Amino acid sequence: MSTPATVFWQKNPALAWREIDDETVIISPHDSVMHELNDTGSFLWKNIDGKKSAAELAVLLVENYEVTPDIALSDTQALLEEMSSRKLVVMVPETAGVSP
Amino acid sequence: MSAALANSGRGPRQQFELSIGGMSLRLQMSDTQLFGAASARYAAFTDAAAQPTTIALNDGAAPEGAPADFAYEFEGAALRVFPSEIRFDGVRNQYALDSLLRVLLSWKLLGGHGFLLHAATVLRDRKAYIFTGRSGAGKSTVTSLSPEGSVLTDEISLLRREDGVWCAYGTPFWGEFRAAGSNIRAPVAGVFRLLQAAENHVTALRPVPILRALLPNVLFFSAEAEANRRLLEILSQAATEIAGYDLAFRKNSAFWEGLPS
Repeated sequence: MSTPATVFWQKNPALAWREIDDETVIISPHDSVMHELNDTGSFLWKNIDGKKSAAELAVLLVENYEVTPDIALSDTQALLEEMSSRKLVVMVPETAGVSP
Repeated sequence: MSAALANSGRGPRQQFELSIGGMSLRLQMSDTQLFGAASARYAAFTDAAAQPTTIALNDGAAPEGAPADFAYEFEGAALRVFPSEIRFDGVRNQYALDSLLRVLLSWKLLGGHGFLLHAATVLRDRKAYIFTGRSGAGKSTVTSLSPEGSVLTDEISLLRREDGVWCAYGTPFWGEFRAAGSNIRAPVAGVFRLLQAAENHVTALRPVPILRALLPNVLFFSAEAEANRRLLEILSQAATEIAGYDLAFRKNSAFWEGLPS
């Protein structure tokens, strides 16, 4: 079952990441595994800030890429699930609130 | 350079200074046997520097109060970096000392815009050629096929960015090729990921594949996020500024002919 599109996501604060040659490279310090994101993955990664849900990220994708809303939401949720399984992103706890 | 010091009633303490990759260190120890072995092992790297960082070996109690900025344990030997001093404890032989020195340098190089890499460094036309790869990739083969005196290390290379130029330093960290080493540096001509093959062939790499080639071979021992961010920053710059290649080579010295200068 997929995570609700309204959940907020944030980058795992333990990670190191850089943009290099138009790609985003993410390294997990605990296992030194290198993860690479393509153009759209990098775009989404830059916009994951703990204040946006998958639905809001998908809207940004539609505004910046030639993609339909349905596909954008589907792709965004799939990428977030994948990154979550690799501990690159984490859900913002509901009780944490969001800074203005 | 060595000298005997007074050591508050615990017998004479000796010290010597060394410089590896431009990082100046002063090792202090009471163990005469270890002192002899270490000063011989690093003889090519002894150097008098203005302000070397002092490392106290097996010196007993740790300073009270401040926690270590960086700590690492390896087979019973422990390294701790405090704001006021560096301590190596539980060091029973020169090999344990060598391991802790590598760990310490990997951490200190973050502040020196550099890193340690599992790689052989060979000089040719006053430039440093870096051949990287895991054990068995061919580092020893490359060094054995290189002219005598041209090999700065067959195992652990040290790279630093200085005044906008990436340089490779000789290190005292060797594998099968065991030699004293040379404490010299040279601008980096390129980093070559070794791939053994039937024919010699060189393929230029873009920055991300270079980073992908470097990362598994970088020596780094801190899991602390900020240290890893700094390391990635350094490696990303290296991958962008240093020419990188896949080098498919067969085991003969003809591979040199196809290398870009």
